[in-house]
Amino acid sequence: MSRLRAEGLTLGYDAEPIVRDLDVTVLDGKVTAIVGANACGKSTLLRGLARLLRPRAGNVLLDGKAMAGLSTLDVAKVLGLLPQSPLAPDGITVADLVSRGRYPHQGWFRTWNDRDHDAVARALDATGTADLVNRPLRQLSGGQRQRVWIAMALAQDTDLLLLDEPTTFLDINHQVELLRLLRTLNAQAGKTIVAVLHDINLASRYCDHIIAMADGAIVAEGAPRDVITAELIAKVFGLACVIVPDPVAGTPIIVPAD
Amino acid sequence: MTATATRTSAATAATLRATRRHRAVRAFTATTGLTAAVAALFVLTMMVGSFRLTAGEVVTSVLHLADNPSVDFVVRGLRLPTALSALTVGLALGASGTVFQQLLRNPLASPDFVGITSGASLAAVSGIVLFQVGGLTVCALALGGAIAAAVVMYLLAWRDGVSGYRFILIGIGVAVFFEGLTGYMLIKAELFEARQAMHWLTGSVGQASDDELKLLGGALVVLLPLAVLLSRKLRVLELGDDTARALGSRVEITRAALLATAVLLVALAVSVAGPIVFVALVAGPIANRLLGPATGGIAAAALVGAMLLLTADLVAVHLLPTPLPTGVVTGAVGAPYLLWLLATTNRRGAGG
Amino acid sequence: MSTSTVRARRALALGPGLAVLCAILALVAFLSITLGSRDIGLSDVLRALFGLDGDNSIEHTVTVDMRVPRTLLGIGVGAALGVAGTVLQGVTRNPLADTGIMGVNSGAAAFVVLAITVLGVRGVGVYIWFAFAGAIIATLLVYAIASLGREGATPVKLALAGAAVTAGMGSLTTGIEMTNVDALNELRFWQVGSLAGRYAPILSGVAPFLIIGLIASLACGRALNGLALGEDTARGLGQRVGLTRAAAFTIVAVLAGAATAACGPIVFVGLIVPHLARFICGPDYRWIMPYSMLLSPIVLLLADIVGRVVARPGELQVGVVLGVLGAPVFIGIVRYGRLSEA
Repeated sequence: MSRLRAEGLTLGYDAEPIVRDLDVTVLDGKVTAIVGANACGKSTLLRGLARLLRPRAGNVLLDGKAMAGLSTLDVAKVLGLLPQSPLAPDGITVADLVSRGRYPHQGWFRTWNDRDHDAVARALDATGTADLVNRPLRQLSGGQRQRVWIAMALAQDTDLLLLDEPTTFLDINHQVELLRLLRTLNAQAGKTIVAVLHDINLASRYCDHIIAMADGAIVAEGAPRDVITAELIAKVFGLACVIVPDPVAGTPIIVPAD
Repeated sequence: MTATATRTSAATAATLRATRRHRAVRAFTATTGLTAAVAALFVLTMMVGSFRLTAGEVVTSVLHLADNPSVDFVVRGLRLPTALSALTVGLALGASGTVFQQLLRNPLASPDFVGITSGASLAAVSGIVLFQVGGLTVCALALGGAIAAAVVMYLLAWRDGVSGYRFILIGIGVAVFFEGLTGYMLIKAELFEARQAMHWLTGSVGQASDDELKLLGGALVVLLPLAVLLSRKLRVLELGDDTARALGSRVEITRAALLATAVLLVALAVSVAGPIVFVALVAGPIANRLLGPATGGIAAAALVGAMLLLTADLVAVHLLPTPLPTGVVTGAVGAPYLLWLLATTNRRGAGG
Repeated sequence: MSTSTVRARRALALGPGLAVLCAILALVAFLSITLGSRDIGLSDVLRALFGLDGDNSIEHTVTVDMRVPRTLLGIGVGAALGVAGTVLQGVTRNPLADTGIMGVNSGAAAFVVLAITVLGVRGVGVYIWFAFAGAIIATLLVYAIASLGREGATPVKLALAGAAVTAGMGSLTTGIEMTNVDALNELRFWQVGSLAGRYAPILSGVAPFLIIGLIASLACGRALNGLALGEDTARGLGQRVGLTRAAAFTIVAVLAGAATAACGPIVFVGLIVPHLARFICGPDYRWIMPYSMLLSPIVLLLADIVGRVVARPGELQVGVVLGVLGAPVFIGIVRYGRLSEA
């Protein structure tokens, strides 16, 4: 059983569709990575799954119901998304920003309550940003800022969390730290996580499931050990490479061939 | 493990509560202070003049607590309309300006810069120059011009949704277009009409009729609370369309509702007082500096707007050797204050 | 398609594009000399320019004393305003920034008014220098106020400080104008914002500033590219952000100050042409800069020619023509073109 899946999904911005007639199933309770070359439609697919793009054809189903027919607030209580380049108003503090993640749980007149406080506090603690609450976002380092944004998405308190290239602009240390954080969230809170990632090696090390895309279609999917092969990398990225096992975890690592 | 997690979580929640309380106290203090200042200025503008009155006399007369024909004539007949006009126009401009700035995510995106005011100006000036109209007709034309400009801009900027950046660029284009036409009208006008048009273009709170004030006042009673209610949705829109949608906001409808509210507010204000510059632009930033960065308090911004306009009116009419239209003085009154705020809050580092 | 091929392809198209714009500018300049309330034929123009026709003919006077300086001024001022607008929008990362909002026009006007009322100065030739000084002082004041504090002159603070200084100076000017009829009367001539009536002495006065500013601006395209990515990234790329901003502001002050002093406040060119250049070139300021430098005088001269031809024997102000004809074109481009955000 899967809570989030798409059937015959076609997505696009202008005349040409970018993602065509795609069937995707997001595995519950797993960390999934979507990988692929630039402009292969991975971000478009993620945006489609998070109903930021209206499907040209096909459906995105949440708990078996077509998402287009559900109330946006109800969806937002179950499904969260962190976009690629979110915007923050000038001078906003960490506490203020993370608190805004509680929006779907509040009505027109309902004031802030203990559940909101707890959710925000848990999000801050989980991301290790509790010490930053009174700092302006702008003064933080790139890694800190990215964790604060994830805290905002966590404060939304959804079972499903989609992340669009969360590791971009981070150094390798922060990339690893962030992926470990995603693993922890998955293990402790049972969250289903889907992330668009660029680094295949990190994806295969830290994710349970990989969806590889090329030209708006899914080329392969499955566990990293089964999916990551030299043929696939050649097909998806046009890169000749050798696959070796990760010395620590044994997951596949790609090394460019000469 | 679990125990520590719960404990830190409780500690964090406590810190959060303290932060929120601190912010709430600051917001409450600032808003109360502003309200008091606005009330004081409102009474003060009615006290000074060639016929000086005490605060008690003004308040009793305005509230109809006692009848004193000579005082009532000065207060209710002469000074109250101007004071009310400064108050209401200021509230409307302040609220509208800050909504525009937050919605379009640009500190310069006040209605003066993105074509709404210039639409009102073109309609009013055309009326004065081409049809020699005056009074309520000019007011109605300005109102219609502002709303028409906003609708045109919205439709032109619509392409599978309205992006803030495209709306701003279209706004610049529309503003320049209307200003060009207004300039042409002024060149072609006869001297008498040109002077009248110029006077209207300066903006002044001293010429509002009772009907106009009633309309603006009535609209404020509906629109200001609506803007304050909608501001929670604005907090989410500020994070960008994608994030807002992910948080369950219905972006286009919310944006359209906020724009409509802000446009109505500014259109009414401009139709009553003419295009008074600068108030809509600075009210939001000043309020933010009083309440803390990115708080975006609409009520506070409205109050700052009223305070600026009441002060400007006081200066324009009473402190200068020759009385001037209010629109001339708003810049002189507001600019030093904003500059002072910019200079001092930045020194502490967290000004934003 | 990789980034480097995109860049190479773009350079291939944009390089010749510059040559095409140069040719268009030459054509427009030629039209600007020949067309007007009195059309002058090519042969007359050439004879006048080379002094073959005796100094007394009307053609000679019109061409040499009026049309040629006017055209040259249009080219210089247009380029200056376009480049100043581009630099300002880059450094403030704000598509609404133009020289008007940074205090240039209001500073110039305030100083002219003060010169008239306080110092009792008279004469358009003298006003220019007060206007120039006022424009530069106002711009630098904006920069100085925005730079206070730990973070320096962030785009938001620049925008707000600019708006505040503009409004303050504007109030001062209008206030004096409304109480002092004499000042209003004198200032009116300067404030129209037009190329008309601005001839040789004015041109030679501001030319050095325009030339120096334009050359300096071409050098700062790379720095603006860095700033466009945000302060942190720019710093990460080894840029000295504060220094870049200060240099950019000095260029803006000199260019816009000289242009405004010579021709009065002309909007549109500095506000809108940078966007046109960005539509053509994409986000690379090394291309945007020369494109604005050529596009702006073309737009300004065209508007000036239209203003002269349409309302013969009178003239329409450049600002009116630009607004009524230029703005719809711009709106169309924004509406139907592809947006590359600043």
